[in-house]
Amino acid sequence: MPPKKVQRKDKEEPRIGVYVCQCGLNIGAVVDCAQVAEYAALMPGVVLAKTNLYTCSDPGQEEIKQDIREQRLNRVVVASCTPRLHEPTFRTACQEAGLNPYLFEMANIREHCSWVHLHDKEGATLKAQDLVKMAVARARLLAPQQELEVPVHRQALVIGGGVAGIQAALDLANSGYKVYLVEKEPSIGGRMAQIDKTFPTMDCSICILAPKMSEVGRHPNIELLTLSDVEQVDGYVGNFQVRVRRQARYVQDSCTACGDCTQVCPQVAPDEFNTGLSMRRAVYRSFAQAVPSTFRIDMDLCLNKHGIVACDRCFQACQKRCIDYADQDRIMHLEVGTIIVATGVDVYDPTPLTEFGYRKFPNVITSLEFERLINAGGPSGGNLIRPSDQRIPKTVAFLQCIGSRSKRSNIYCSNICCMNTIKDALLIKEHWPETKVIVFYIDIRAFGKGFEDLFQRARREGISFIRGVPGEIIEDPESQDLTLIGENTLLSQLYRYEADLAILSVGIEPRKDSPVIQRLLNLSTGSDGFFLEAHPKLRPVDTPTAGIFLAGCAEGPKDIKDSVTQACAAASRANILMSQGKVMVEAITAQVDEALCQGCGLCVKVCPYSAIRQDPETKIVGVTQASCAGCGTCVAECPFGALSQRHFTDAQILAQIEAVTEETPEKKAVAFCCNWCSYAGADFAGVSRMQYPTAVRIIRTMCSGRISTQFIETAFRRGAAAVLVSGCHIGDCHYINANHQTEKRVKKVWKKMERLGLNQNRLQLAWISAAEGIQFSKKIKEMVEIIGTVTLEEINQTKEVLVPDKKEKKKGEGMNRDQEYLGTL
Amino acid sequence: MIKSIWELFNKEDLFECYQCARCTGSCPAAMVLDHSYGPRETLLRCLNLGQEAVINDERIWYCTTCQVCEDRCPQEIHIADLLTAICNLAAQRGNLPEKIKFSVDLVAKTGRTLVISDKVHRDRQKLALPPLSPLAVDEIEGILKKTGLNEDLELS
Repeated sequence: MPPKKVQRKDKEEPRIGVYVCQCGLNIGAVVDCAQVAEYAALMPGVVLAKTNLYTCSDPGQEEIKQDIREQRLNRVVVASCTPRLHEPTFRTACQEAGLNPYLFEMANIREHCSWVHLHDKEGATLKAQDLVKMAVARARLLAPQQELEVPVHRQALVIGGGVAGIQAALDLANSGYKVYLVEKEPSIGGRMAQIDKTFPTMDCSICILAPKMSEVGRHPNIELLTLSDVEQVDGYVGNFQVRVRRQARYVQDSCTACGDCTQVCPQVAPDEFNTGLSMRRAVYRSFAQAVPSTFRIDMDLCLNKHGIVACDRCFQACQKRCIDYADQDRIMHLEVGTIIVATGVDVYDPTPLTEFGYRKFPNVITSLEFERLINAGGPSGGNLIRPSDQRIPKTVAFLQCIGSRSKRSNIYCSNICCMNTIKDALLIKEHWPETKVIVFYIDIRAFGKGFEDLFQRARREGISFIRGVPGEIIEDPESQDLTLIGENTLLSQLYRYEADLAILSVGIEPRKDSPVIQRLLNLSTGSDGFFLEAHPKLRPVDTPTAGIFLAGCAEGPKDIKDSVTQACAAASRANILMSQGKVMVEAITAQVDEALCQGCGLCVKVCPYSAIRQDPETKIVGVTQASCAGCGTCVAECPFGALSQRHFTDAQILAQIEAVTEETPEKKAVAFCCNWCSYAGADFAGVSRMQYPTAVRIIRTMCSGRISTQFIETAFRRGAAAVLVSGCHIGDCHYINANHQTEKRVKKVWKKMERLGLNQNRLQLAWISAAEGIQFSKKIKEMVEIIGTVTLEEINQTKEVLVPDKKEKKKGEGMNRDQEYLGTL
Repeated sequence: MIKSIWELFNKEDLFECYQCARCTGSCPAAMVLDHSYGPRETLLRCLNLGQEAVINDERIWYCTTCQVCEDRCPQEIHIADLLTAICNLAAQRGNLPEKIKFSVDLVAKTGRTLVISDKVHRDRQKLALPPLSPLAVDEIEGILKKTGLNEDLELS
């Protein structure tokens, strides 16, 4: 709905209160906060400007509340940290004092200023002044907003049936919610089911997991969907519509798991559960404790593929007649309120590290293969035998950090391999005490509760720890014994160790199919490929998408205990939403001014959420408020100014651009950053204290798709030396694919600049993720170099030739209502 | 003239080394040197003690630039480039081992890395191999002049 004129005339004069936070010494030691406050006090509309030691503290908030009441403030600006941290805090404070929370604005003078300009106090103070000026300019134009209330379905979806998924499903089911647990494999259990013992307690892994698995199987609130894939997810927090494909099992649920079918099946294949160390039949069960215990037929292996029955031995053998060759995939449509992603990890495949000879030398195995070998339910019945001659090895070597901490594989530490190796080494000593066990390590990271004790115990039991990973492993072709050559760095001595068996302690990495889940659920990933949490410290299990939570290794490498802890946390977070039964949607949605809409339908095409529908007769569009996620890409697309985004109006953003370019624009660059990735990346650069020059001013939009060509051109027209447009990497957009529009629009301006003979280099487009603080600071340094090359003549020429298009003029007319509002101030 | 090895090698890269020792563990030179002196220790000395700690050490000249260390380095550090940079600076300062200098001298004068004695000629005759023809020493001299190597090494 377009705001009515009458309302505007009623509006009071803006009475803005500005609070410049020192944040102890975090800001105060670099930025002259008193000077910034004095500067702010002179800005139009500002009635008071103060400095605070800690504005976010209770007394700090109390002061704001008191001023709202006593000084009749109707806008509040706090210059402190990133709005991603404390905007909700201050919004609540405003609300408590009777001020609409959308009349609050923040200037980020910590992450984007004091922390990144530690050695340029003067520059930082000037920049802080600019940032406050931008916030005040925007605050003047803020309007009160009402949030929309959306109901939340009291049903949850858990994706992944490993220990994290199991725990999350049980917690939610026990809280009384209906839970759908979707698992790709024929049985739940995940990686934990494959492991023999757990560290540091040396509990039997399957013994502690199996009771939980069967509880899932019989829980009245859990619907277990194995052999299933999530194919599509639509909707929004509280109201997700999920399509799941249940693959045909070809064995009915009435199966008693007697195993008669397997006995007669003629087809064999490597057993995935035993990492290929044994064989299974085409009709099989993954492992003895599988839940559900129902067998399944692997149709890719069975002779009856494509409905032609060439063999029916299993059918004949089954007394209960459970075999059904005609079984078909089923599609299920689920309505859920919350989703927990517990998709787990893959294990690193060390084949590319040819110097260790994995897959070339039979006696070089991975730690997961070792788990199956030492497990009583495994292919060797718990006897650690070496693959080449089935002999129990006398000397066993472990090699650490294989596939971790390396640019050749994964750069992160996989977190679990050190303790897993120590546990494995102790297991060998327990079963065969005479075995010589040598662990070749770089650093032993025994950081958790009880971990150091286990490490000490391993050393006392006679396990040798040698610092320095072998350069290579060579094999005696006859005996197939191995020789490990390397350097003991603590003694500065080369070694040659003979070993019967070498175990590569492999790391873990994101699942190969995790991009599918990422796309379906609109998640973002860090540079390591793991799913990114909404905040690394304070929202560690939330995703940026409301209503979706993370559990287990999908979020990052972790051990069983941490996975379970995180699963409990994710379940608890989902529980909060579902127990309230409703959720408020931030009032940043798009709205249509029907009088201005020409029915061109461009907005319908760019909306990633199909939230805009067009009247078939009048062609006039309308926005479904509950579906609109607030990216604003439709607003940037509309040629007539008929669409506006609440709380991110064109006038508000233009006011920020004007504030930046008021003084010495030729020495500055205007940066537009999306809230989720590039603004967060800039925050990360701040948190990491990556230093860069002060020349760039950041304007935050929710999505880079909100940045219209008009904003970029206005910045240039106002004399800015350079403009940076920055968003999430293509494919990682938090609004599905809205950043494709960003790219299109920037290219459009580049083209126009080329046509007008302007230096295109002055407009930069950068994809920067929330984890890429380094890339952000590099980009800023690059921008400063560009600013250095831009001459005053060039800027003046730009002002002359870069005139608004016809379309843009029309858009300007649409914006008149904002301008009108400006006039009332 | 270079003053520092960091003109030839990016020091930033060295911070990525966590001393896993796969380089020295793969190094053929370390196998013949006392205390298994190899790339790992050279790199650590450069980083912690600075270039002066390695520049006068004759053991750096045992590097054959076979690049196996580089091939296996998990952090993809160009170790052979670092060792070459050290050798270059050492040579400029005249810290060239006599044997190496002799070899270079030999190449400059005869175009060959080995001394061709009468015995070599006789052996070739016995094996019915063609006699060795003299090489274009002028050309080599030209290269040495162009690269400035003759001045660096004060070749006669």
